[in-house]
Amino acid sequence: MSVATRFAGLDRNTRVVSGVGTVLLTLTILSFLVAPALTGYLALAFAVFVGGAYLVDEENTARFLLFVTTTSTVLILAFITVYLLLNAFPVVREMGLYLLVGSDPFWNTGSNVYSLVPMVWGTLVTTIIATLVAAPLGVAGAVFISEIAPGWAREVVKPAVEMLAGIPSIVYGFIGFTLLNQFMQQELSLPTFGSLFVTGVVIGVMALPTVVSVGEDAIASVPDAMKNGAGALGATDWQTTTSVTLPAAFSGVSAAVLLGVGRAVGETMAATVILGNVTDLPDPLIDVFGNTITLTSLIASQYGAASGLQFSALFAAGVVLFVTVMGFSVGSQLIERRMQSRLGGEQ
Amino acid sequence: MSLGTDVESSDALVTGDASTRELVSGGLVALSFASFAVGLLALFQYLPADTPVAGTTVSTLLGGVLTLVGAGTVALGAASYGDLLETSPGHTGGLASAAFVGLLWFGVGGLVAAQTLGLSLLWPVVALAVGGVAAAVALVAREDLGITLSAGLFVLLSGLVVLTGAVGPGWQWDPSTLSIVVTGLVGVPVIALFAGLIGAWTTARVYGGFGAQGRQTGAYVLVGTNAAGMLALLASVVGFIAVRGFAPMTEGIKYGLFWGPWTWFNPPLVDTWVVVEGPILWFYWPFVMEGYSTTGGGIDGILPAIVGTFWLVVGAVLFAVPLGVGAAVFLTEYAEQGRFTFLVEISTNGLWSTPSIVYGLFGLAFLVPRLGNTNSILAGQLVLGFMLLPLVVITARESLKSVPDEYRDASAALGVSKWETIKSVVLPASLPGVITGIILGIGRIAGETAPILLVTTSSPFPSEVAGVIEGGFRFTSAFPFVAVPDINLVQSSSALPYQLFAVIGAGLGENIDFAWGTALVLLLVVMSFYAVGVTSRVYFRRKLNQ
Repeated sequence: MSVATRFAGLDRNTRVVSGVGTVLLTLTILSFLVAPALTGYLALAFAVFVGGAYLVDEENTARFLLFVTTTSTVLILAFITVYLLLNAFPVVREMGLYLLVGSDPFWNTGSNVYSLVPMVWGTLVTTIIATLVAAPLGVAGAVFISEIAPGWAREVVKPAVEMLAGIPSIVYGFIGFTLLNQFMQQELSLPTFGSLFVTGVVIGVMALPTVVSVGEDAIASVPDAMKNGAGALGATDWQTTTSVTLPAAFSGVSAAVLLGVGRAVGETMAATVILGNVTDLPDPLIDVFGNTITLTSLIASQYGAASGLQFSALFAAGVVLFVTVMGFSVGSQLIERRMQSRLGGEQ
Repeated sequence: MSLGTDVESSDALVTGDASTRELVSGGLVALSFASFAVGLLALFQYLPADTPVAGTTVSTLLGGVLTLVGAGTVALGAASYGDLLETSPGHTGGLASAAFVGLLWFGVGGLVAAQTLGLSLLWPVVALAVGGVAAAVALVAREDLGITLSAGLFVLLSGLVVLTGAVGPGWQWDPSTLSIVVTGLVGVPVIALFAGLIGAWTTARVYGGFGAQGRQTGAYVLVGTNAAGMLALLASVVGFIAVRGFAPMTEGIKYGLFWGPWTWFNPPLVDTWVVVEGPILWFYWPFVMEGYSTTGGGIDGILPAIVGTFWLVVGAVLFAVPLGVGAAVFLTEYAEQGRFTFLVEISTNGLWSTPSIVYGLFGLAFLVPRLGNTNSILAGQLVLGFMLLPLVVITARESLKSVPDEYRDASAALGVSKWETIKSVVLPASLPGVITGIILGIGRIAGETAPILLVTTSSPFPSEVAGVIEGGFRFTSAFPFVAVPDINLVQSSSALPYQLFAVIGAGLGENIDFAWGTALVLLLVVMSFYAVGVTSRVYFRRKLNQ
């Protein structure tokens, strides 16, 4: 059914409200793109029209307004994508593949040479360390809350994990900067200030609550009937958990880990503050106590002084980040969807 | 009387061996945890490994305890294998456990081969061989022998290494590929932490009598330790900041009770002023009531940052809550499951996981040039609103879904239209959940630094509050005879998380107290939102389940 026939099928009021409303709203948004000075008047016109329409036909106007709000997330995501790509375009045209495979010099604002290799490496190393911290501990925490803990312990641990999620990233960064970096220098004679290892561990701790909360939801969604069946066969609680509950919730738990990894990839402030942010690879490459920079901390530490091609290169870093994290997000959603349909089918 | 004797004697007969086992292994579990705890204290140098204790050092003591645990574990395993203890071991240690100890010994073999023996190329072979043997022992031998041998020997070896001083306070390791130097002051605690956990796991398995029950006890010990660790982490982060930040935050607080004029007026026809006096409470808290002092004297405060955070949060909520709740209502009440809802769900979850710095970049490229071409509160409000939006959609949707369908049906049966039903039945019923989600979302965006760093802030140490509202409602002589206050959102401002970032960036030297104080205020603001949100969620969930 084409849009036109769909439109014709609606009653007159709906047609007027959604037609005129959509036109006015589109004009408002377009005017913000090209002539922000006009946006105020057009927004006012839209508000007046909607207000009037609401007085005449409450039902249809409400429905139209709710529909408009629903499109907001899609619109915002589309705008983010478009503007990141637009701004990253100049550096991609200039540097081409050198952005992703370049060698020394990696990042030189003097000669306008930009390669994201050190940043990608830094993000990769910190994310791997963070995942090694967050995935096992987070899944164990989720199992504890949903399967093992007696009532009182759950009442304590669950809110505590939620509170842990609330500690701002800059506070973690501050603690890493003042306490952990100092510890590394004093006790482990680390020659430089900041290291990938500390950054990764701190980011892992920050991603922990995400893994616990999402994983706990997944484990809790396994039907009791399955667990009771195992219990009736004489399995211990732990046997039930490892051989029934966790396999059934496997996709949900892996979605939780993926979300946690996504969080770790995008974590900005802790990396910016703890790392030394040098745009070079650590030497030797596998020196996890070395210093480099991540995609996120590149943006946060250089946005102020950047212009021209360097500014565009920051957006290229943003695109790499955005694409990676979106991949993790979409992947975890597809996995979760599969789990839902599977468990739903067995019930 | 005779009955009582009967029960006692039968108890003794059945559980005699079990109680010895539980006593010994329980003691070993406690010892393992003790060495874990001491190792933690030693690692962070609260109790350095070379501290003298009763004629010896902490390090030697740890080594002794671990040796005892290791030897005890092996002895318990042997006793169980010789049927001296009542246990119910499985015929194998289990695949997961075997893989676990195999990995452990792989690490030991690799480190010894590469660092102690100096095999530069051959070390993976040695590591694989050692790990393989350990895993095979755990997998093939009967559980009580396999697990206690493979894991107990690891603890025993760790203990002996520390006890004999092979890794002692004077020990040093300078790996060529890593830029760190590990001294005994770090090495000993790390060994104690590892071996303590392994010892606790193994002895807990003995405590449970091996078999399925033993595995459960062992696993629960590890998982429980992990949960306790998360609690400890929360307590130490909050505690550390509270202890360090309290003094700078509360410095210079002054308050007093005065007797002073409340109000005064001139009653008609009387040529005198009537003054009403009363007690006045005066309160002055410089850290949160002043800006950063420009003169150098006085106490530096963070009022501009607090006001900035307030405006940012207000703007973001005003932007995101109507949009988010509206979208949630449309998705649950109107939309049918289809391509459109799928698209909206994907983008909502995508927005949820988009890194905050990407929002900042977007704001920098899209909003700032269109909003006065300057860093502004308005841009920050919008960007934080974009971040808050998916949180509101997700939580509001969940809470709308939990409204029972009977409510909607009952309302429809009375002939009430759909929108009227949503307005007067569905939304009020879901309000607690929606509000809880909003509160938690506010907590999250109030602590965000990266986006406002790019679009809102300019001066690292502001002394003046951003004047968002200038003037008040007042009557004027010209048309339209009332003046509304000027609201100016297009100006830069500080915010609490940015303030902390700015101090770190400017060098902590003399500002370290200011930084701890700022961190404490930020933590208090964010945590209070979370505390309220989490508590109200628990409260309403409990009420719903009644």
